Amino acid sequence: MTESSPLVLVGWDFRRTPIAVRERLAFTPDRIGEALARITRQGVLSESVIVSTCNRSEIYGVGVAADVEDAVTEFVAGFHQLEKPAIVASRYGLSGADAVRHLFRVSAGLESLVLGEDQILVQVREALRIASAAGATRSVLHRLFQQACASGKRVRTETGVGTRATSIPGVAMELARKVYEDIDKRSFLIVGAGATAAIFYDLLIGRGARSIDVVNRSFERAEALASRGGTARRWEELSARLPQADVVVFATASPTPILGAAQVAAALSARRGKPMLFLDLGVPRNVEAAVSNLDGAFLYAVDDLKEIAARNLADREKDVPRAESILEEEIADFLSWYGSLAVVPTLASLRRRFETVRAREFDDALAKLDRVAPEDREKIRLLAQSMVRTLLRRPTSALKDEPDPARRVERAEAIRHVFGLDEEE
Amino acid sequence: MNATLLGLFALALYGAAEGFSIFSLRKNSGALGRAATIVLTGALLVHFVALQVRARTLHSVPYRDLSDSMSFFAWLMAVAYLFLAFRHRERSTGPFLVPLVMIFLAVSLVTHPSPSPVKKGLAGPLFAFHVTMAILGYAALSLAFVLALLYLVQNRQLRTRRTGLLFSRLPALDVLDRMERTAIGVGVAALGVSLALGVIWAQKNWGTIWDAKLGATLLVLLVYATALFSTRLRLQGKKTAFLSVIGFSLVLFSYTIVNLFFSRGHAFR
Repeated sequence: MTESSPLVLVGWDFRRTPIAVRERLAFTPDRIGEALARITRQGVLSESVIVSTCNRSEIYGVGVAADVEDAVTEFVAGFHQLEKPAIVASRYGLSGADAVRHLFRVSAGLESLVLGEDQILVQVREALRIASAAGATRSVLHRLFQQACASGKRVRTETGVGTRATSIPGVAMELARKVYEDIDKRSFLIVGAGATAAIFYDLLIGRGARSIDVVNRSFERAEALASRGGTARRWEELSARLPQADVVVFATASPTPILGAAQVAAALSARRGKPMLFLDLGVPRNVEAAVSNLDGAFLYAVDDLKEIAARNLADREKDVPRAESILEEEIADFLSWYGSLAVVPTLASLRRRFETVRAREFDDALAKLDRVAPEDREKIRLLAQSMVRTLLRRPTSALKDEPDPARRVERAEAIRHVFGLDEEE
Repeated sequence: MNATLLGLFALALYGAAEGFSIFSLRKNSGALGRAATIVLTGALLVHFVALQVRARTLHSVPYRDLSDSMSFFAWLMAVAYLFLAFRHRERSTGPFLVPLVMIFLAVSLVTHPSPSPVKKGLAGPLFAFHVTMAILGYAALSLAFVLALLYLVQNRQLRTRRTGLLFSRLPALDVLDRMERTAIGVGVAALGVSLALGVIWAQKNWGTIWDAKLGATLLVLLVYATALFSTRLRLQGKKTAFLSVIGFSLVLFSYTIVNLFFSRGHAFR
């Protein structure tokens, strides 16, 4: 991909663009289709995909307009009713191999706020789905995004970039799964009904937990939290419910510890040796530190979880070079496909193909016609050459004179397919 | 076919299975894990043929002496591991268990003595079954020992908040605990049957049932039975694991010191 590659990217992300601007640049899923349709209609891009998350708004496309980056920026400003100068400064524009590399890095989570996070891969896949449904993608972007998603997945399975949890709830779940394998078959007890408690409640419901008790000083708030599955319990029931719980989450603002070692020892004894996991998210701590000295009780406070999360993040960072080398492999693969679809190489292969056929047929024919005079041989040779030239004229102009780069690529692809150019070489 | 050559081939296959399981653990790859299981099954079959060939040469069970019994012991341990892996759908303990199989097979291959004539009373199904059950019991208890060690390692990592690669690849505590209990259950049952058969055999051949080995085995069974009933006794998984470790050291004691110096008929001489 040399001088004038029509593949472009214009974007704004959390590194360069303040949140206030980013919020206004976000494309909500229901408006992406409309934006894609308008961008095509206005003759800015002939293929386009919009990746819009809370951390980035990026438009990938195959350009038609002369100064594509500027035209896309202009479009975005118009679409969101913003002043163009206000968004030009923090914009980044890349083209060709650089744009490809950026998308692959985004899919692999290397450009994410939390290195290697999974969500972005889902979002990139969704961006492709929306654009395909809107009819905005064709050969190039379709292949580009599919390969970006596949590489993102590869990076996550082959390296440690996306493996270990780096958030407090994530680390907590990882620990829980190392004490009890099946989260969905376990009993949970959530103490507290505030924002943190709600996060864990949602997380547990999401992981398929079926038995969740919520205990809170105000019973009404416990009921409100437990409304989507789970049972609200009165504060007085805490001790009685304890032995049933495999995992207990504490998230209250109590100034003094709620749970002491003696209570836990009693609960453990009633559980006949089954271990208990305590996740203490309260600050100050809700569970006495002495609990962690009991056999069968595993206690983690917020600081422990934070420390593990930080260590996991450091582990992820160690694997970035490996992830990058996987991506370079995938990028090279995409670029070699894309490069083969440029006009010049396609026409060159087509000409080679025709020439090979001509030379072979000419030799075969002459071998059979042994009584042809030398001047007639020359005439036959010229005839064959002129046939090839004539046959090549139409495909050549169909490729060279097509102004729309996306359509040019499609035609190149069709020609390569029909004449089997990729099989030969 | 030569039993030693077959044994070496089986050893190589065990080695390959171990390689696959280590890689599968490092890369977290299911395909490699399946490959490990398939190769291990192959190793088991080859090893089985080796035992058969040895039996034909000896005209008796292929574990009449200590060296031969180690090969059979290794084979049963591998069988028991595969059983556990399928029963608990958990292959990540493989890399820790297969080396044990390899060590015993290797020692057996190196120390292969030439066959000696069968002594009086050591032929017949009663004796063969007694030895088979004893070796199966020891194999299962050895597995339980390794699983108990893994439990203690995982327990320690959870306590010290060391959450590295080993932590993330080892199974959850409850899985290790269940696997350990299954292994102990098989071990206790097999050893119990062996003990009963041994008593019958001793009565017939020696005219008395008392032997130091009987006492040692009863002690071993007592320790492991305590471990099996640990939930009734309200013992933590950690204590059960400790019991398994103590039980296994008793097994080793019984297998070596008691066999060689105190028992009448267990010295394999």
